[in-house]
Amino acid sequence: MLSLIVRRLLLGIPNIILISVLLFFTILGALGSPATLMLGLDATPERILELERQYGFDRPLYVQYIDWVWKALNGDFGRSYATNQRVVDALLPRILPSVELALLGMIVAVTTSVVFSSITVGRRIVQPVVNILSLIGITVPNFMLGITLTYIFSVVLGILPTSGWAPWSAGIFEHLLHLILPVLTVAAYYFASFGLVYRAEYRATSRRLYIQVARAKGLSESAVSFRHILPNSILPVITQVGSSLGQLAAGALVAETVFSIPGVGTLFTSALLSRDFPVFLAIGMITIVSVVVMNLLADLLYVAANPQIRLD
Amino acid sequence: MKNRNALIGFVIVSIVTTLAIAAPWIAPYDPATTSIRLFEGPSAEHWLGTDQLGRDIFSRILFGARVSLIIGAGSAVVAGIIGVPIGLAAGYLGRTVDMMAMQFINLFIALPGLVLALIIITMTGATMLNIVLVLGFVAWPGVARLARGQTFAIRESVYVEAARAVGGGTAWIIIRHIWPNIFRLVAVQLATVVAFAIFTSSSLSFLGLGVPPPTADWGGMVRSGVDYLSVNPYMSLAPGFSVAITIFGFYMLGYREE
Repeated sequence: MLSLIVRRLLLGIPNIILISVLLFFTILGALGSPATLMLGLDATPERILELERQYGFDRPLYVQYIDWVWKALNGDFGRSYATNQRVVDALLPRILPSVELALLGMIVAVTTSVVFSSITVGRRIVQPVVNILSLIGITVPNFMLGITLTYIFSVVLGILPTSGWAPWSAGIFEHLLHLILPVLTVAAYYFASFGLVYRAEYRATSRRLYIQVARAKGLSESAVSFRHILPNSILPVITQVGSSLGQLAAGALVAETVFSIPGVGTLFTSALLSRDFPVFLAIGMITIVSVVVMNLLADLLYVAANPQIRLD
Repeated sequence: MKNRNALIGFVIVSIVTTLAIAAPWIAPYDPATTSIRLFEGPSAEHWLGTDQLGRDIFSRILFGARVSLIIGAGSAVVAGIIGVPIGLAAGYLGRTVDMMAMQFINLFIALPGLVLALIIITMTGATMLNIVLVLGFVAWPGVARLARGQTFAIRESVYVEAARAVGGGTAWIIIRHIWPNIFRLVAVQLATVVAFAIFTSSSLSFLGLGVPPPTADWGGMVRSGVDYLSVNPYMSLAPGFSVAITIFGFYMLGYREE
């Protein structure tokens, strides 16, 4: 068990280095000068040279990469070009809202998809509704979903706030009220994709002998479904959660913009719009590396949860 | 069941494509012409009303279909050009080639496509060509994985063995015997790439980082309507619905029972 975890980690670390090198070299090397990007096309060559020296873009790429990573590991991501604020200071207060949104979205998606697919009472009515919601979740882009929900619940019905963010200090009720629509927006797609995976596994499990035994000994359909089929069908959903994290980062980014949530996503888009290179480089690298790390962790969790694959 | 899904998808995609091609002839107004009739609701003259510059929303949606379809189809072509050869090579040659290709494919599949696309497009400039290239590049691993899996499955079949027995070279076998057999499934997969590309490019425009205005683009139209949701909801909801129904069409066309 331990040796397997160590082996996976040893395989994972080169992946993380590879992806960060690839990203850094493409962004700084292949896509044009960051200095030109930040100054605009009509910048004088002298000004570009000056900025390149100031940010160290005139050094060889591998030196820049090692320097960037070394500083990043020490918590220094440079300074914002637009505001001259330290990137860390701009980033830190924004992490909590983003993580909260993503986490709640995942929790809502997993519980609703699993519970709604396991319900046995009134299945004839519940299943078609679940199917339609799944189709909506998969095919309607996040921004459209967010706006439609805002229109229905805030503009027409007027029962939920349109956008914005209430910090915890504003009271837990106010806080959660502002989170309902964003969380639903983020969760919709995963509700659909987890549901697909879960129902396939659910069908396979319900044909097993021990399920027949559970029925034969007189358990109610509900008890069979929730106590016997559910725990034995949920593992693929956990794997799916792990491999969805990359898409989740993107989905949360759009939802943050729709609902003006002061998270990492809105900082990222505003940095892109203002061509603030140090900021979006830092967020891009952190996001992508953490996605790879999370995948690795999900992989390990899967190994820990399933004794069958520990043999290897 | 499967055929019904594909049929629904085919009908929707055909309608959207026809409307996009015929846009200049059927659109009642020029998509860029402004007027003084701002924020009007639906009427006989303006079927879906007008936006904040008095432009006809229905006409802009028709022209927006062109942008979406060109980006969608273009990205699918790029993803196919990169993904198919890699998938074929990995599936047929196996061993080291396969191992390296899969390592790469799995790494790329896990990455957040939108985040990657946003950075690259900001660096290179938001032109249609750049968006097509970037989205195709982000989507290729899915195509490669499918092509690899299918190639792997028929590599040991009798007719491939026969081709090998008569002395066929690797390239000849792949092109003449394997590709024709996996072509249809790859084409189906490319429909989902179109859906992905329309999904992502409209998200880019919604964030203000896609095809720049004044081009009529669905994501951009939704963005500009957000501030006026209570004034004229059609500004956002109509183009947003168009994106959703188009994605739905391509998704159904490319839907496979796993």
